[in-house]
Amino acid sequence: MIRFDRVDFRYGGTPVLTDVDLEIEEGELCLVAGRTGTGKSTLLRAVNGLVPHFTGGVLTGQVTVAGRDTRDHPPRELADVVGYVGQDPRAGFVSDVVEEELAYGMESLGLPPDVMRRRVEETLDLLGLAGLRDRALATLSGGQAQRVAIGSVLTTHPKVLVLDEPTSALDPVGAEDVLATLQRLVHDLGLTVVLAEHRLERVVHLADTMVLLPGDGRPPVHGPTAAIMAESPVAPPVVQLGRLAGWSPLPLSVRDARRAAAPLRERLTNASPPGPAAPSGPAGAAPHRVGNAAPSDPAALSDAALSGPAAPSGSAGAAPHRVGNAASSGQASTPATDPRGRADGAHAPASVRALEIRYGPVTALRGVDLSVVPGEVIALMGRNGAGKSSLLRALVGLVRPSGGRVLVGGVAPHETPPRVMVRHAGLVPQDAADLLYAETVAAECAAADRDMGAARGTCRALFERLAPGVDDTLHPRDLSEGQRLALALAVILTGRPPLVLLDEPTRGLDYTAKGRLVEIVRELAADGHAVVLATHDVELVAEVATRTVVVAEGEVVADGPTGEVVVSSPAFAPQVGKIFAPVPVLTVDQVREALSWA
Amino acid sequence: MRRRLHPGAWWLWALGLATAATRTTNPLLLLLVGAVTGTVVAACRSDDPWARAYGMFLRIGLVVVVVRLVFGAVFAAQAPGTTLFTLPSVTLPSWLAGVRVGGPVTAEGLAVAGYDALRLATVLICVGAANALAAPSRLLKSVPGALYEVGVAVVVAMTFAPQAVTHVRQVRDAQRLRGRSDRGIRALRRLAMPVLEGALDRSVQLAAAMDARGYGRTAAVPRARRRATAALVLGGLLAVCAGLYGLLDGQAPAALGAPMLVSGSVCAAAGLWLGGRRSPRTRYRPDPWALPEWVTGGSGLLAATAMTVTGLLGADGLRPAPGSAPGLPPLPAAGVLIALAPALLRGIRT
Amino acid sequence: MGVNAVRLRVRSGTALSLVSLAGLAAFCWPLLVTPGARIGQSAFAPWMFVLLLPLLLAVALAEIAEGGIDAKAIALLGVLGAVGAALRPLGTNVAGFEPMFFVLVHGGRVLGRGFGYLLGAVAMFASALITAGVGPWLPYQILGAAWVGFFAGCLPRARGRTEIAMLAAYGAVAAFAYGWLQNLGLWPFVGGMASSISYHPGAPLADNLGRFVAFNLATSLGFDLPRAIFTAILVAVTGRPVLLALRRAARRAAFEAPAGFDDRSD
Repeated sequence: MIRFDRVDFRYGGTPVLTDVDLEIEEGELCLVAGRTGTGKSTLLRAVNGLVPHFTGGVLTGQVTVAGRDTRDHPPRELADVVGYVGQDPRAGFVSDVVEEELAYGMESLGLPPDVMRRRVEETLDLLGLAGLRDRALATLSGGQAQRVAIGSVLTTHPKVLVLDEPTSALDPVGAEDVLATLQRLVHDLGLTVVLAEHRLERVVHLADTMVLLPGDGRPPVHGPTAAIMAESPVAPPVVQLGRLAGWSPLPLSVRDARRAAAPLRERLTNASPPGPAAPSGPAGAAPHRVGNAAPSDPAALSDAALSGPAAPSGSAGAAPHRVGNAASSGQASTPATDPRGRADGAHAPASVRALEIRYGPVTALRGVDLSVVPGEVIALMGRNGAGKSSLLRALVGLVRPSGGRVLVGGVAPHETPPRVMVRHAGLVPQDAADLLYAETVAAECAAADRDMGAARGTCRALFERLAPGVDDTLHPRDLSEGQRLALALAVILTGRPPLVLLDEPTRGLDYTAKGRLVEIVRELAADGHAVVLATHDVELVAEVATRTVVVAEGEVVADGPTGEVVVSSPAFAPQVGKIFAPVPVLTVDQVREALSWA
Repeated sequence: MRRRLHPGAWWLWALGLATAATRTTNPLLLLLVGAVTGTVVAACRSDDPWARAYGMFLRIGLVVVVVRLVFGAVFAAQAPGTTLFTLPSVTLPSWLAGVRVGGPVTAEGLAVAGYDALRLATVLICVGAANALAAPSRLLKSVPGALYEVGVAVVVAMTFAPQAVTHVRQVRDAQRLRGRSDRGIRALRRLAMPVLEGALDRSVQLAAAMDARGYGRTAAVPRARRRATAALVLGGLLAVCAGLYGLLDGQAPAALGAPMLVSGSVCAAAGLWLGGRRSPRTRYRPDPWALPEWVTGGSGLLAATAMTVTGLLGADGLRPAPGSAPGLPPLPAAGVLIALAPALLRGIRT
Repeated sequence: MGVNAVRLRVRSGTALSLVSLAGLAAFCWPLLVTPGARIGQSAFAPWMFVLLLPLLLAVALAEIAEGGIDAKAIALLGVLGAVGAALRPLGTNVAGFEPMFFVLVHGGRVLGRGFGYLLGAVAMFASALITAGVGPWLPYQILGAAWVGFFAGCLPRARGRTEIAMLAAYGAVAAFAYGWLQNLGLWPFVGGMASSISYHPGAPLADNLGRFVAFNLATSLGFDLPRAIFTAILVAVTGRPVLLALRRAARRAAFEAPAGFDDRSD
């Protein structure tokens, strides 16, 4: 169906793709993987001729789709064969209403009105969009927008569907919707689907084949998913675990891994490593729990021999949740604070009591209590619209509480001028680029020093630590996602706020960048910063958070050590957690450590 | 389910009424026209944001009346009659010899100015009714084929503008996160840059999506038709220019004026139509033009016709003398009332 | 200078010139009309231009689009038009301030005169549709804004500070001229026949010119001058970063980048 015949692509003299030689069969679901900057998007865009017709650059070799050579067919002439959905589906919308958007491609192809009408109805049913037909595109959720984007390219009846990171920006529920849709298209319609994705844990078990871009000048490899995964430098936790345990065949889904893991689970239950690897304190942490999302089976937890020596229950809020190798400098200086901050909130990074936030008639948050102590990493989880962002915004004073009290470093954020507030709390918003406005990295850092009243060079030094070796003269918009996040973080950290807030920090990050982010967050915590992350990324939470707070419909429904909150929940458990439940291990590292003690 | 009326029908209706209004200075007729538009808007408007346009145009109309009355009092050479009051007058330099400032103000003079202002205000109100009743996005769907590309750009602009406003809010928040205040021209620049950069980034993604979805496919246009289009358009424009010259210059022959202008316009319009056939694209669910559209558009045209015919017949009542009380001539009044028809059509919403 | 995102060919250039000529007549006819001309006597004359202008504009825009406008230029037109339209309501608070102009000036400068013409038209039209402000004045405003963008694309070569100074000066002149032209277009409607500062059909040019100047002073001197100054300041302040951003975008959109295929040598 798709054939790359010894394809090279150079852009302005720089080779982007080298010696791509592969063939994707009809009805195949092919996953394209590789680190940021290895040319995944370029490969995808070469399928429908956007590379090089749209982007410029020189392509050597031949790409054919359904027998059409992209050399002779620009993208618009391939619109009836290849449907292409870009990274941000909303950016590709041309009209304003769902139904019109579905028809747009067919209008361009000049299909007769009765055919258009029929296909729009079919597509609405096929993708479960019938209830949305009259909705304005601007009001759709992420998952809905992605499905509308897929629908809008399906109406031209293409044979191939190309998707660039279809689930990266979605919450787990939206991602499930989209992936289920894709699977149906492959199975029921025999569509060929090519997709790139950073979050391999979401898609790897669905893919028939994989194309791996090594990114070191070697040509990409194409083959059955399991075979490629065995060698891949980027791999989801389930695969890493499989490799660690030496399972064969390599499991790609939680189900397969769980079956293979039975003996290992036994060993882990009996193993008894000491201290730091323990993801959760036992009984001592229990009082944090609020509401109904608490672990359902405390017995299962207490029989986890993994948990090691019980932590002193009084200091449960801070110390014992620390994961991995976080240094303990923050711990020493931390007074044992009551986790709900009843006492001595004045110097706590944040203390929130009975917070209520309303936007007009809509109540975004109600009765929220939260206290944050230095050195703590809190994950804030919940559906889109549950109130995570509102809580973060309240903590930096972007929104005025309608009721209750917020104290950050002893001051009320919404009454504090921005200039002072940056010394108490810093928020990196979802779109980190919003924080940046200068023309070069150097100018941005200099401006940040002035903004925050820091010594000259502070921001640049921080940035160097977070993302080493970035050219000073680059435009912030030309950085990779990970570098841009690092720059925004450096700008915020220049004010040395004791409280650092990150809103969806892993959007668009690959595993390497995410790994770096985990290190950074641990370092911050070790330095005594309190960090709050609002995120959907369960793997990140498992790696880094000491405490997890789950928000639903504006209320806190669970608050406790990550291990406890996350293990029992089907929505928030990481892959490793699901594989070993009820044994409370969350990450591959923990398994490795536990095994070395066993 | 109630059907939305074709936006063209509403514009035809409103322009018909506006034309009727330009043909008279009789305040009773003008107020009648205003009342008719108000009734129809009240009966047929939707809850969409643009439906508020009517009120806005009504306020603009009031401002026009007030401004014109002030102008009439201060600058106008007063019609002879009852002097109401006297304004202090100003002597101007000789190159402004024709301009009069201040002096006595007569009731008749104010009436002349007021009637004239009311006429303009009524036209504006008719236009406001069209703005309130015709959905702008549907209007864009009916642009001629030759303007397809520009139409797409306008659609993109209209859908993107609200998002740009949202983005401005986000960036403003982000500025606070950096400890900046959000006032002053420097803050405006810091605000503008991320918004502009975001918009530009997005335009590239949008262009890729449009390209991949078949935007810009063109049908093969026969050479002959291309030439014919070019000839019609350029010839038509030349004729229009010549016609305008003929109209503006008193010495030019009569044939160069109106006939040239009209034939040139027709040629240009034909060229526009012919040029629209180069794109092979079709339209999804175009708004139908059926009986309700005929009734609505027709009622507006009837109002215009009644007024124009009355004017041509030389019947008095359309331009009442400033001193006397105006009457209500029956034929034009009936014509205007016919334009209430859309309000009576059942099952119609804008 | 910048790229030419929308090329003007001989045919579209000719059409544009003719439309501009007729458009100029639509603005200035009260001053051009000679004694004895039929148009001078008719009360219908101003309305005739209101009907004629949309047709002329449609023809001009269709002719520019005739060779096809690629997706990148359309998308850029759309988003820049949106930025212009979104900025417009900000201006109503400050006397006569028209923030849209700086988008037109920079856009025309970087992306060429054909693009500038379209940008002015699209931004004005979109903003009228968004604010539900379609009226008889709209064709005049569209034509005026299109000229602002077009002539910004015709400015001579310059770099650095000279370029910013030139653009700021142009912005001031354009804003001032735009205001006068709009007033001139409005004049025959507002004045009626009665006032001594309104248009008198058939009066000598000097006489009518004097009246128009008086009309302009009376109605909008308060607006024209501040508007010109505001525009110049805004263009100067935003100049460097906005030009840079637009040029970056033009480069990334690769309007004139060679896209090619190589055959393998072996």
